[in-house]
Amino acid sequence: MKKKGVAGYMDSEENEKPMLILKDIHKFYGTNEVLKGVSLEVKRGELVTFVGPSGCGKTTLLRLIGGFTDISSGDIILDGQRINDLPPNLRDTRICFQNYALFPHMTVAENVGYGLKINKWPKGKTAARVRELLEMVELEAFGDRMIDKLSGGQQQRVAFARALSLEPKVLLLDEPLSNLDANLRLVMREEIRKLQERLHITTVFVTHDQFEAMAISDRLVVMKDGRIEQVGSPIDIYEKPANEFIAGFVGYVNFMDGRIVSIEEKTRDAVIATEYGKIGITLQQDDINHGDDVLMVIRPESVNISLDCGGSRQNVLCGSLKTYMYAGSIAKCTVTIGDRTMIIDQYNPRDAQHFKHAEKVEVEIPRSVHLLKKKK
Amino acid sequence: MATAELSLKLQASSGSKIKDFINANLINILAALLFLLLAFFLLYPIIAVLLKSFRGPSGFTLKYYQAFFSKNYYFQSLYNTLLLGVINTVVCLVIGFCLAYMTTRGPWILRKPLKIIALVPLIAPPYLFALSLIILFGRNGLVTRMFDLHWQLYGFGGVVISQTLAFIPLAYMMIESTLMSLNPNLEESAYDMGASEATILRTITIPLLAPGLLKAALLIFVMTIAEFGNAAILGGRTPFLAPDTYTMITGESDFNMGSVLSVVLIAPCILIFFIHNYLLEGKTFTTIGGKPVASEPRKITPLIKVPFVIITTVAAGAIFICFAVVFAASFYKILGVTNKFILTNYLDFTSNQAIYNSIRVSFVAAVIGAIIGVLLAYVIVRGKFFGRTFIEMVSLSGFALPGTVLGIGYLLAFSAPPLKLTGGIMILALNCVFRFLAVGVEAGISKLHQIHIEIEEASADLGASFLTTFSRIVLPIMFPAFIAGFIYTFMTAIVSLSAVVFLVSPGFELAAVKIFDAAVYGEIGIASATTMKLVLIVMICMMILNYISNKTRLGSGIAKKPA
Ligand SMILES: Nc1ncnc2c1ncn2[C@@H]1O[C@H](COP(=O)(O)OP(=O)(O)O)[C@@H](O)[C@H]1O
Ligand SMILES: [Mg+2]
Repeated sequence: MKKKGVAGYMDSEENEKPMLILKDIHKFYGTNEVLKGVSLEVKRGELVTFVGPSGCGKTTLLRLIGGFTDISSGDIILDGQRINDLPPNLRDTRICFQNYALFPHMTVAENVGYGLKINKWPKGKTAARVRELLEMVELEAFGDRMIDKLSGGQQQRVAFARALSLEPKVLLLDEPLSNLDANLRLVMREEIRKLQERLHITTVFVTHDQFEAMAISDRLVVMKDGRIEQVGSPIDIYEKPANEFIAGFVGYVNFMDGRIVSIEEKTRDAVIATEYGKIGITLQQDDINHGDDVLMVIRPESVNISLDCGGSRQNVLCGSLKTYMYAGSIAKCTVTIGDRTMIIDQYNPRDAQHFKHAEKVEVEIPRSVHLLKKKK
Repeated sequence: MATAELSLKLQASSGSKIKDFINANLINILAALLFLLLAFFLLYPIIAVLLKSFRGPSGFTLKYYQAFFSKNYYFQSLYNTLLLGVINTVVCLVIGFCLAYMTTRGPWILRKPLKIIALVPLIAPPYLFALSLIILFGRNGLVTRMFDLHWQLYGFGGVVISQTLAFIPLAYMMIESTLMSLNPNLEESAYDMGASEATILRTITIPLLAPGLLKAALLIFVMTIAEFGNAAILGGRTPFLAPDTYTMITGESDFNMGSVLSVVLIAPCILIFFIHNYLLEGKTFTTIGGKPVASEPRKITPLIKVPFVIITTVAAGAIFICFAVVFAASFYKILGVTNKFILTNYLDFTSNQAIYNSIRVSFVAAVIGAIIGVLLAYVIVRGKFFGRTFIEMVSLSGFALPGTVLGIGYLLAFSAPPLKLTGGIMILALNCVFRFLAVGVEAGISKLHQIHIEIEEASADLGASFLTTFSRIVLPIMFPAFIAGFIYTFMTAIVSLSAVVFLVSPGFELAAVKIFDAAVYGEIGIASATTMKLVLIVMICMMILNYISNKTRLGSGIAKKPA
């Protein structure tokens, strides 16, 4: 995951400087505050993804960085230079719009070469660069095609090539995969990521698809209602969500209430009292203290499920199976425990036991469970 | 008792056979009837004009055409008309483009007011501008007297100016809708890649708009060469085809020459109608996944801003002044000459009588037009008979036909038995119906395309007869289109001048003709007051139309909310 550290880029001081800094950005449309103080630093060569539900302000943020919309307050700093007031044509950022915005009256090559032509590149150099770009996105045979004769995936590549043509400092991608069908989306996101890493181009990616976001990014920025909720690596966001919204947004989650009744200071072993009995865990966080009310974040795949509910081992809850949905690679189980329902994924169900409706099952809560501290 | 019952049953069964036949073929029968109407009231008058142009006292002759092409005067008239068309089209396109660009790309606060000003001339009859130019620059005009100006208003220049002002809204509307449909991200992408505003215009906006601009240009060209009022009022000694036709008929009673002039005028119109509808069909660029979104304002460079702002301001200012001047003039006998504020212009009996007549004629035309429009739309969309596209073409062709031509055509076709209609209200109404059919039909067609045929089939499947289905399912859904057709026909008919000027009989004056006469004879006050009354009526119609289209989404109904 942490590929950045491996390459030698981080060595010199120059390269330590962030490529893009957003400082307390606010944006009003009329009286409607769409962005409510967004701050972030994006490192060189990093792919940062803004993810959040539709309408949370992702596109607006990209348009602000690209210069298409005036910023209400705050600063945008690109490679050390404040660019708030620069128009898009003078900013070294390049945007790929959600609908690709390819010029329908031009060929693929003319689209890709548009920026070069505008910037008065000589003919021969332009042609060579266009060829290079088309090769990069594997469209070298399509240069003379008109845009409407391309498939969605091919159009996406053209848009990508066009955005890269002038080697911008920052690439802005607004839901670039949302117009593709599911399979193509998986292929394209890998390609984009590979290219991005190869070119080492700083990229701000926007999507509402949390799985896409986790798969493609170095870091994730989870947004809600114009605010940043959490910034972190995909693992951090998934395993250590900062609040209920994030926990629920990046995947399915079961919550369970409890109270810390003991903490072993040295080993950080702790016991949580719940309405179903005591759960032993190993605390991962420092900010949890004795007596705190907490919410356990239990991911469906982190739970072991098996038949029988004999002896009362620690961390094992008894329940009965409500539904069992076999879906090849996993089986989705819903289990009723007391008056609550938990969703549990059983992996590799081919080799595991198959359950029947209303069967008694036992559910083992992992010791590594993440806790959210409840506000008093 | 029993026999009576039996005979009743028999009657029912033999009746049901006929009924079944009618039911199965009703749409074809309907189509045939409608076609007869179109043939009789639209095609026949035009053919009559064509025939008349070739028929001398002793049969077929080409001498009238020879006369046309050998006389310098006629050639000059044709030349003036075409030149007027070209100049008007270019100027209207430029102004329309600047206005549309500002209302779709410019600062938010300017968008709404500019749009309103650009569209305001729609509520005015086109000759309002001729009238206002007379008030300002005529022999006794305000400006003429104030600055002792000796500009000759009557002539080519005056006609160009009044025509341009009259056709700005048409140009604006067509260009604005193409600009709105252009995905703003395209221009933004070019901007992002380093292109300046002028480069974006040159390499992206205008090339993408080209098909739309061409369509708009053709339409404006046709409308301006056919327009009668402005050229007739302000033409002076400069000949133009449309008013010359009128003089030929009313002044010299020379129907042959009048017909020749009409044929010459109609030829480019029909040609352009075909280019517009068939060659340019579907010639627009489609972009992918672009939802219509309002473009955010851009920092427009002075290079673009200055000329755009100048053109826009001048056009908007001129439109505003024209309205204001006519409004003011309606309260004086002759504004600038007599200084007494009076209301008698509004109380003038002949003027009110003419308004009343106009309302009657337009109402009749609107009722008939809306019914025929809806029925035509229905057979065009749902029918499967041979010649369907021909019917569609004929019914939409009205807008491309110069009013003067249809005026003469009606005179030639319906002034003698077996169908003598001249002298009544009917000939005026029918003339308006068939000239202005296109909009009603198009509204109907677009409404019908929103209904799935399955709804009708489901109804038929449940055992409903064609008539039941039509009246219970189709008519209610079509009702907004009917109303739109009604109001549109009404307000177009009430201001229309070019055809009815041939058809009014003494003692039955229409408002438009009254204004025309008053303007020509210098009764500025009466002309202005009558014009203001028409403006008021049209404004009310527009408001109703607007209300209906908002209510029923008959119009484009684009969701402007960005996602
Ligand atoms: N040009 C605009 N004018 C007014 N409101 C806008 C405009 N663009 C976006 N908004 C509003 O800003 C909010 C965020 O929009 P957006 O950035 O497009 O969200 P996202 O891309 O996360 O779905 C939405 O409520 C939207 O309605
Ligand atoms: Mg968006």
